Amino acid sequence: MNFRGGWALIKSTWLSWMQHRSFFFLLAFLWMISPLIYLFVWSTAAGDKTVEGLTRGEFVAYYLVLILVNQLTYSQTNWTVGDLIRDGRMNVLLLRPLSPLYDALSAEVASKVVYMAFAIPMAAILALVLRPELHVTPRGGLAFVPALALAGALRFFWGYWLALLAFWATRADALLALQDSLVFLLAGQVAPIALLPDLMQKAATVLPFRYMIGFPVEVLTGQLDGVELGIGFAFQAGWLGITLALFVAMWRTGLEHYSAVGG
Amino acid sequence: MRYLRLVRHFAEASAQNELAHRANFWISFLHSLLRPVVAVGTGVLGVVVLFGQVETIRGWDLPATLTLLGVYLTINALRGLFIGPSLDALTGMDGEVWTGRFDFTLLRPIDVQFLASFRHWRPFALVDLALGLGVLGMAVIELGQSLTLARLATFLLALGAGMTILYALLLAFAGLVFWSPGFLFTWIFDGVFQMARYPVGIYPGWLRLVLTWVIPVGMMTTVPAQALSGDLPAGMLIGGMILAMTLFIGASALFRFGLRRYASASS
Amino acid sequence: MVNQILVNNLSKTYRVPERKPGLAASLKSLVRRTYRDVAAVRDISFAVEAGEMIGFIGPNGAGKTTTLKMLAGLLYPTSGEARVLGFTPWERRADYLRRISMVLGNKSQMLWEIPPLDTFRVLGEIYRVPPAEFERTLDELVELLEMQDLLTRPVRNLSLGERMKCELVAGLLYRPEVLFLDEPTLGLDVSMQGRLRRFLAEYNRRSGVMVILTSHYMADVVALCPRVILIHHGCLLYDGELSGLAERLAPFKLIRVALGNAQVRDGLDLPSGAEIIERENGRLTLRVARSKAPSITAYLLNALPVADLSVEDPPIEAVLDQIYEEGDA
Repeated sequence: MNFRGGWALIKSTWLSWMQHRSFFFLLAFLWMISPLIYLFVWSTAAGDKTVEGLTRGEFVAYYLVLILVNQLTYSQTNWTVGDLIRDGRMNVLLLRPLSPLYDALSAEVASKVVYMAFAIPMAAILALVLRPELHVTPRGGLAFVPALALAGALRFFWGYWLALLAFWATRADALLALQDSLVFLLAGQVAPIALLPDLMQKAATVLPFRYMIGFPVEVLTGQLDGVELGIGFAFQAGWLGITLALFVAMWRTGLEHYSAVGG
Repeated sequence: MRYLRLVRHFAEASAQNELAHRANFWISFLHSLLRPVVAVGTGVLGVVVLFGQVETIRGWDLPATLTLLGVYLTINALRGLFIGPSLDALTGMDGEVWTGRFDFTLLRPIDVQFLASFRHWRPFALVDLALGLGVLGMAVIELGQSLTLARLATFLLALGAGMTILYALLLAFAGLVFWSPGFLFTWIFDGVFQMARYPVGIYPGWLRLVLTWVIPVGMMTTVPAQALSGDLPAGMLIGGMILAMTLFIGASALFRFGLRRYASASS
Repeated sequence: MVNQILVNNLSKTYRVPERKPGLAASLKSLVRRTYRDVAAVRDISFAVEAGEMIGFIGPNGAGKTTTLKMLAGLLYPTSGEARVLGFTPWERRADYLRRISMVLGNKSQMLWEIPPLDTFRVLGEIYRVPPAEFERTLDELVELLEMQDLLTRPVRNLSLGERMKCELVAGLLYRPEVLFLDEPTLGLDVSMQGRLRRFLAEYNRRSGVMVILTSHYMADVVALCPRVILIHHGCLLYDGELSGLAERLAPFKLIRVALGNAQVRDGLDLPSGAEIIERENGRLTLRVARSKAPSITAYLLNALPVADLSVEDPPIEAVLDQIYEEGDA
């Protein structure tokens, strides 16, 4: 584990990302729009009353936290890793003493710093204007950090193993479009999981997408009782394990295929 | 007349360019079918989820909101047919203004605004259009309201005004590239346009005003949808048409002003 | 009057925002921008007759391309006037634009994925070329350029030289009266450069099109342009025949001497005005003032064991190099 090298890589990547910060602020702005729309949709729907027990203010809080969590866990590996493989530049990376994993990680860390530089002030301003109601219990607060960390790891490796499909197929765009759609529907964006119709809710509980974004948000906003919290963590850890296994498998076989084909 | 012929040639040439690009045609064709279907399906599901919990939201029920979604998808498809690709060639990533190939566009003995607006066509957007019209059609049937000729006419006028506003806004955002060539202004519009998926009435007062009169994405979807369901307030159609004309003139002026600036400032 | 290019005191200065390094400076620039004036073209005047082929030469950033773009109507000048074919270029009248053409060496106007023929057809529509004339012109150009087999292959599959041929066809298929060529042979191999030069010369002969060519390659200018205009730091330094350039701007000659006795090297007592610029194995190259060449030649023949001696004009490149260096000083 080469920490010094990794840290240097992160620092240099961050500086170059800051150069283009207007572009990345624009991206952060764009990613904020969809949760914002549903913030308005649900808080208006709740009005003076509640929907499934959630008040207007609680919806606002849910979505503001979602914006931040989404930004923090968002995985860019399809561009960073996928493009590298398609361009053939992966060869260069494979020769370096730091594994390509570090490269992707440093890009993630560096980019998130830039995105959050935009997202946090924006969320603060929105909070001032929209008046969220956030009730954080001690249990929720404590559980939030591990839930967030696991969510980030899960989303990163999930994105990574999908990006590795680039070893075989040059254009997996259709799969990615499907993935985006599933994330939108089942990860807590279009609505908090509890509000989804029965079938979708069952799917969301079982599939990994909720555990990438929605779950930490639900933890922090106190929507889950003790049992649900435990079950959620179990699913999250389980999916992380499966994803890591998928990642390792894809990496090994993909690498063989790549070198065999002369990538 | 000549300009129409030119449009036909542009459309043919871009269609050829687009189709030739597909290394493996059938895979790309399927993909071009799959993406819109997924997008439309997701949009519809989103609305269905909302109305699984409430009956109406600020006076809009499920059929009315689906009508609005249909309008949104239709307008988005029309944009993706030629306005979007043409202006993107100018101002998007690797745009002509950024790479310097804009000089060729300026050399043509044709009005630059016309050329920049009609030059590139994306035939696969017709799939999006068909799907959008499909959703619109089904939603209107669900509405169960009688579609009188008057209502249809009002709807078409409102849609026309909406498309004009769309074009004007995109043109204005694209024109900003002459002042700051590296920045992707049209993406800002993309973000705000997303908000048009839902009726403008659900947004809080200040935002509603902005979305109706300042960056009038509300005009593009909410007003035509209201025209179909018969709920359109009296002055809105006229207001919308006046707004459309004003924005069109303003955006064209901005664009031409930008052209002068380009010709004065670049090297 | 109509078949001419007339340029009078044309100037182009543009304001470039100053960007000083450092955090303090960038914060200050948020509040108040400072600008710098860059004079790209200064008071240039010249005239071109119908059928002429002239070359713009000069170092990078001299103002050649800027002048060309002003004549094509792409840029507004800061001051001065120009009339091309009786039009003011930057008014950008459709009638004017239909009669001029610009080919850029490093940028392509072809649609990338489809055969060149399709791009040509669209251009034919844009420039309102009648179908019969279009076919005729296309055939003529294709034959001159020997590119029959290229017409149906997608542009992205063509080599750089083949693409350049397409650019030339695109630029000429509506029979413009003026052709602006900006670095047309950039990046091409030597044989392709030669082929394009032969094409341009032949086409100019046949059609009488006025050509203004900018190029880094002296071979282009020497082969094609009986007349050159030297632009440096935005100023017109010379306008006339290429051969006259050396005479006017570099009033010296080169004397190459081969010595019979290789031992005579150091301590050569040369008269003033003679400068040794090369010394190798008993061969000397001297640079002498033009007027002194005869006397120094005589001196050398008398004072040294000369085996061989020749008096030459300096190569154009050397003249230009010196001008560029002096200009930068």
